[in-house]
Amino acid sequence: MEQHNRFWRIALLAAPLAVFGVFVIWPLVSSFYYSVTDWNGFDPDYQFVGLSNFAKIASDRLFLQAAVNTSLWMAAAIVLPTSLGLLLALLLDSRVLGARVFKSIFYLPICLSAVIVGQIWTWIYQPDWGLLNTVITQVSGEKFKYAWLAKPDTALWSVIVAWSWQQTGLAMVIYLAGLTSIPGDLLEVAEIEGATQWQRFREVVLPLLAPSTVVVVALSVVNSLKGFDILYIMTGGGPFNSSETLAMHMYNESFKKYLMGYGAAISVVLFGVAMAIIGLYFRQLRKVDRIYG
Amino acid sequence: MANRFSPWPATIFTILSVLAVLFLLPTVGVLLSSVKTTREISMGDLWSMPATLYLGNFAEVLANPSVHTYFANTLLVTLPATAISITLGAMAGYVFAKLPFRGSNTLFLIIVAGMFFPPQVILVPLFRLFNGLGLIDTLYPVIIVHSALGIPICALMMRNFFATVPNALREAAIMEGANEWQVLIQIVLPLSLPALAVLATLQFTWIWNDFLWPLIFTQSDDKRTIMIGIVNLKGQYSVAWGVQGALSLVASLPTLLVFLFFQRFFIKGMTMGAVKG
Repeated sequence: MEQHNRFWRIALLAAPLAVFGVFVIWPLVSSFYYSVTDWNGFDPDYQFVGLSNFAKIASDRLFLQAAVNTSLWMAAAIVLPTSLGLLLALLLDSRVLGARVFKSIFYLPICLSAVIVGQIWTWIYQPDWGLLNTVITQVSGEKFKYAWLAKPDTALWSVIVAWSWQQTGLAMVIYLAGLTSIPGDLLEVAEIEGATQWQRFREVVLPLLAPSTVVVVALSVVNSLKGFDILYIMTGGGPFNSSETLAMHMYNESFKKYLMGYGAAISVVLFGVAMAIIGLYFRQLRKVDRIYG
Repeated sequence: MANRFSPWPATIFTILSVLAVLFLLPTVGVLLSSVKTTREISMGDLWSMPATLYLGNFAEVLANPSVHTYFANTLLVTLPATAISITLGAMAGYVFAKLPFRGSNTLFLIIVAGMFFPPQVILVPLFRLFNGLGLIDTLYPVIIVHSALGIPICALMMRNFFATVPNALREAAIMEGANEWQVLIQIVLPLSLPALAVLATLQFTWIWNDFLWPLIFTQSDDKRTIMIGIVNLKGQYSVAWGVQGALSLVASLPTLLVFLFFQRFFIKGMTMGAVKG
């Protein structure tokens, strides 16, 4: 029997592990290898340059800017889709009339491509006839019209808002799943004991949603690290690299300037950041599991 | 159940309606633009209701031969990659659920962790690999990479679903002389149609919508997929906003239809993948 099992384990795992190993794990490992070379993307040959790519990172002004922007994006990712998603989930959980329709509406952006989302929001921010400036002009006159995506101080945040619009639906669905697992009698007891609406929310609902919050926050942060397409479409990292993120910087250095070795070094840094987040996530998940599971 | 966290139904309905309108506005803008003439839009009327329904933009998009090529290419990538990733995920998921071994949990965790990394982490080596194989500017690398990157989510979801299929079913079949492959194909998979539907909708949507991989691996216009195509055609229709709107709609139509008809599976997949992950 054990022999039989071993044969089938190998037979069934061979193909998926081979594909995953060759096209995901192996490239991941060799990113470290190429990060100490000066490969330029088309020559078959390259030189080893030691840690000079990493030294370059330390003095790369654009890398620093990208790191700051990525951190801002992450911070916004923790706050914006999470809080809005929680609000929507709480409102929808009250079994309001048409809850299903509302749910679909808030969820719809998730099935759109980041390319489409980027284009839609480019139109909203369009200086002359965009929705935002049209509304602003109606309310407060011409003088507050603004070229949102073309100005260094608003470009990044404009993209983050567009991205959050798409992420909110995801946060909402996860919170809704969390809310349905809260036992109704717990809330009833709290009500009988004389807890106010706010107390019930603070003392019962919110703590019981902790596992969902861990998932929502982790997903948002991970997705913010992946944020590339929407940025590529809306600003391309500009103006003057003001909205560039680490993912974008990596792409530009590797596939625009053909500094693939340097690009690999940046991707090693990205890997480290992602690793830290995932580690933190699994630890939080276990901690939450111990308390509430 | 009547008394959940629900104080004021009318107020909640109003708040939700306002939020829903705000949420829909961006999408509605594209819809409106697609049925207006360029003249109408350039006069500053993109966001109002159209006076007449102008279908010229759609005619323009549907008659464009490039759009046909982009669509065909996207199908050629999406259908095989969806099928391959689900097949491989089901095979791995079966072992993790029904034939666990020492270290299989760690292996499973490593595979699932693959879901969380930004794709930039494997970009350079993959480009070198496919360049060396002479496959740059073909659709193959896009199909292959999507198949590989789909394995984590597919293995995760299939494992979780297979775990709910009673072991007694498998044991009975084995006693009668079936092998594991027959158990998987003839007994377990037919019981797992909901999970397969979830994965099919998720994978189809993600791969159809993807931008990064075809951007890296393809170069000539006749190899581009639809999401890259949209960006390429922007130059051709630079001020024809209506045509751009129609193009966006046509490009999103397959995923919108999938969402409309399989919404239940889609949402389930998103929460299952996220919560269990």
